[in-house]
Amino acid sequence: MTSTRKTGPRTGAGIQAGQQLSGWLFIAPVVLLLGLFLFVPVLMAAWVSVSDWTGRGSPFSSDVGFVGADNYTRILVGGGLDTQDFGTALRNNLYYVLLVVPLQTALALFLAVLVSQRMLRSRGFFRTAFYFPSVTSSVAITVLWLFLFSATGVVNKVLSWVSIDGPNWFADPRGVLHVMLGWLGVSSEPAGLASTDFLGISLWEWLAGPSMAMSAFILMAIFTTSGTFMLLFIAALQSIAPEIHEAAVMDRTNAWQRFWHVTLPMLKPTLFTVLTLGLIGTWQVFDQIYTGTRGGPAKTTLTPAYLSFNAAFNQQDWGEGAAIAFILFAIIVFFTVLQRWVLRDRDKVKRTKTRDPRLQHAAVEAER
Amino acid sequence: MSSRRWVGLGDDTPDGVAGGRRPRLGATAWPTYLLLVGLAVVYILPFLIQIATSFKTEPDAAANPLGLPENWTTAAYSRLFEFSDYLLWGTNSLVVTLFVTAGRVFFDSLAGYALARIPFQGRTVVFALLIAVMAVPGVVLLIPKFLVINQLGMYDSYSGMIVPLLADAAGVFIMKNFFESIPVSVEEQARIDGAGVFRTFWSIVLPMSAPAVMTIVILSFQGSWNELNHFIVSTQDPELTTLTKGVAQLASGQLSQGTQYPLKLAAAALMTIPVAVVFFIFQRRIMNASAGAVKE
Amino acid sequence: MRQLSDMHGARSARRRLSFVAVSGVAALALSACGGGSGFDEEGGGGGGSSDGPITVLIGSSGDPETKAVEEAVAAWAEEEGVEAKVQVASDLNQELAQGFSGGQPPDVFYLSTDNFASYAANGSLEPYAADLATADAFFPTLREAFTYEDEFWCAPKDFSTLALVINNRLWKQAGLTEADVPTTWDELRTVAERLTKGDTVGLVYGPEVQRLGVFLEQNGGGLTNDEGTEATADSPENVEALTFVQEMMQDGVAAYSVDVGAGWGGEAFGKELGAMTIEGNWITGAMQNDFPDIDYQVAPLPAGTEEATIQYTNCWGVAADSDNVDGAVSLVEYLTTPEQQMAFADAFGVMPSVEEVAGQWKEQYPELAPFIDSAEFAKNLPAAEGSADVLADMNAQLLTLKESDPQQILEGVQKNLEPVLSN
Repeated sequence: MTSTRKTGPRTGAGIQAGQQLSGWLFIAPVVLLLGLFLFVPVLMAAWVSVSDWTGRGSPFSSDVGFVGADNYTRILVGGGLDTQDFGTALRNNLYYVLLVVPLQTALALFLAVLVSQRMLRSRGFFRTAFYFPSVTSSVAITVLWLFLFSATGVVNKVLSWVSIDGPNWFADPRGVLHVMLGWLGVSSEPAGLASTDFLGISLWEWLAGPSMAMSAFILMAIFTTSGTFMLLFIAALQSIAPEIHEAAVMDRTNAWQRFWHVTLPMLKPTLFTVLTLGLIGTWQVFDQIYTGTRGGPAKTTLTPAYLSFNAAFNQQDWGEGAAIAFILFAIIVFFTVLQRWVLRDRDKVKRTKTRDPRLQHAAVEAER
Repeated sequence: MSSRRWVGLGDDTPDGVAGGRRPRLGATAWPTYLLLVGLAVVYILPFLIQIATSFKTEPDAAANPLGLPENWTTAAYSRLFEFSDYLLWGTNSLVVTLFVTAGRVFFDSLAGYALARIPFQGRTVVFALLIAVMAVPGVVLLIPKFLVINQLGMYDSYSGMIVPLLADAAGVFIMKNFFESIPVSVEEQARIDGAGVFRTFWSIVLPMSAPAVMTIVILSFQGSWNELNHFIVSTQDPELTTLTKGVAQLASGQLSQGTQYPLKLAAAALMTIPVAVVFFIFQRRIMNASAGAVKE
Repeated sequence: MRQLSDMHGARSARRRLSFVAVSGVAALALSACGGGSGFDEEGGGGGGSSDGPITVLIGSSGDPETKAVEEAVAAWAEEEGVEAKVQVASDLNQELAQGFSGGQPPDVFYLSTDNFASYAANGSLEPYAADLATADAFFPTLREAFTYEDEFWCAPKDFSTLALVINNRLWKQAGLTEADVPTTWDELRTVAERLTKGDTVGLVYGPEVQRLGVFLEQNGGGLTNDEGTEATADSPENVEALTFVQEMMQDGVAAYSVDVGAGWGGEAFGKELGAMTIEGNWITGAMQNDFPDIDYQVAPLPAGTEEATIQYTNCWGVAADSDNVDGAVSLVEYLTTPEQQMAFADAFGVMPSVEEVAGQWKEQYPELAPFIDSAEFAKNLPAAEGSADVLADMNAQLLTLKESDPQQILEGVQKNLEPVLSN
């Protein structure tokens, strides 16, 4: 192969200019699309959230006025129906997040560990089985869940085998915590909690826990997303060199100690990712609510995302809808930052909180 | 990239390390297998129930949710096709999915190549912006996207359904990562022989990128086939309803009063088939890609 | 690779540019062939060509209604030579709101009293009703319901009232006779107790104020005063009424339709999960279609301290932005003729909104006379702008009526209703 040096536009500054142009041309469509459908919308929504646009005509026409933070104050401190709805939605979603994220992470990790064991046959089959629900659309799974958890559905049938009378899941608004408190004899609101309000909802209501309907959704979320995160953990587990395990085994530690003090710290980056993705995903739950219960029963499956949609598209209150969307964005950012801060890397040496020299040795080996 | 050691999920790692202290599954094998099988049953059974129920009559489904149908019947399926526009929905889903997939492959590979191999000014800024944009949660954009689609005059049309879905930062990253793994010498050779940037990209690098392109195809197919909230927001004409939107309407009891579980489950099952087929054929790639893409 | 020379280099540059240009054009073409009209800057379409196709958006109660409307619209379309099509909404409120915001509202649509005020207020509606030939022929209360700022905006298409629907077979089985048809609350309770047997509950109804509201009104209470200017939700009469309902439910003689596993009162009634139900005339269509074997009779609702029921009505809304307002109005005129109103009544049991036709209806359906007789003492639920949300919230609270405190529920409603009515 001869390599003839070409002159002209292919040398020096010519190459630079050519590459500059082609670089921008290549990236232009994506930049344009993302700018147009991710960046500009956010700006438009920001304007709508501080305006009084009623949904007719353009939001930029001269009839539309600036109302400042009216929409935001109405939602956050107004005390009226808007505040109550937002408080309810926030409470519902909070329980959803607090239950789904840890459970799905733990389950995903558990499945990953099970499936990653060496010498396991048919690993591929199990991986496929656990991942398959993640491939289906949320609509299809919600429809299936509505059937499984109906009053005469599969779940209640199975519960009846152990003589438990299952609730009419998707029509039952009772909060799980309230039900459990009821077993302990606390059946109506204690005076103190009833009178204090936060975001329009009494503290007693805040302690209601997820309703039966929401609990069914929580189980559905764990069912569908544990597979995806399981894959992440599998990839991470497989990248841990076996020598680490060798070192720990040779120091005569048992499997649980090995897992807790050696494997888990090495999985930290993946754990971070899974938790962050979990938080971002669970705060946005919408498709399932839209397909399934539309906020019912008794507004116990209302979420901020659905509330935002409902305010805008059903009640024609676009300012409120946009404001809720931005508040939701802030909540997601807050929780993500909080999670990262809480789980940040402190001093590396202190990471293994064990005095066992064998495990410390193994952990130090793992650092290399 | 130490993970290179363990390329290929699903391979049993060879037992080649000396010093036989490697823990064997031996005595603990059976409980583990039992647990795994039990969990697998929990994960697979709902879908089997779904299929079985779709062949039942309504009273049978209500009275006997767990068993096999008393009389196998396709009444739910025929009613589904008779009384709803299921085929229309399927066609719409197919059209949108095809265009979105083709578009994403094209635009994402262009952008990925630029970020990977073309040293142009502003590259790092664009890269940072891409990462930032990926952080914006999707549902928060529901109302804003509606506003923009309206302003652009794309509301209630195929373009309104397709074009916004072409914006895909994750795909750009996948392509970028793949292009970076192609040895620079190949492109240098082409460059020396006088090929322009686009020519290098189109005729040399892209053909070598079949695995990455396949990944984008699969992820785009899955993503756009299963998309719901974008279609709710961007269309209102019943002629433009996709499978997801249509089945969601069915779930809210559109066809008549009463709960028609066999029909709804049949609808849900049928719409899952294409994605399931693609999944089973390309299992390994999907599972590798998901792990990689999501990690970004 | 020898063939790649300078010439090809230049060519590839051109090719590259043209490629990008082509994709850019393709993208533009795609958005152009969208056909969306974007935002409509100007106000009404005001007439326009009277040949434009007409879209009719309806929220159907079932197949009979859909078919009836489609037939009527098709007949009109043929007569006038204008294209018209009917769309059945799966979620009327959402599709209507989205249509208006997206700049492509339907030309003619069902409009309930819930939403009427807000659409009239933001200029989405065409106030055609006052100019109709039949404007004065409608029932005065119905006309009132669709008057905003002293203007009569849209023509009521029909109306319904709530009455007590009784399953004759179960009635006789319990040893009850015609004389036992309840006319007071106590009698209602007694009868419900007699009818509660096995899986069947005596009285079943939907878990909403749109049904339970009759009890509030019958006790002399109601959510607002007669003029609809003041919120009276937490009055002692209302608390008494809800407590009465609550006790019936706690004693198992009455239940919500969802609690017995049905989607609405009519379904529970049809499946004999309830022996009596409180429903409106639309139940006749459902019975005919889905549960033809049930033999039932209709009676006026029992009185508390007074006779009362709730009436429901929708109007034919016409979008101000419609391309073919004249055509739309002409269609509405056709749909409110006595013949057409009777045709709808035949198909799905609603009562005509034109007064003179109502007499005809009563003659044709003597067994449904209680529905139209109840119109005398029918009340409306609050319909001011924003009240729909308050009622939705009240329904959310009512779902747990069995376990909660009626006083508290009503106080909450009062708190939410006051700001709505003070505007």
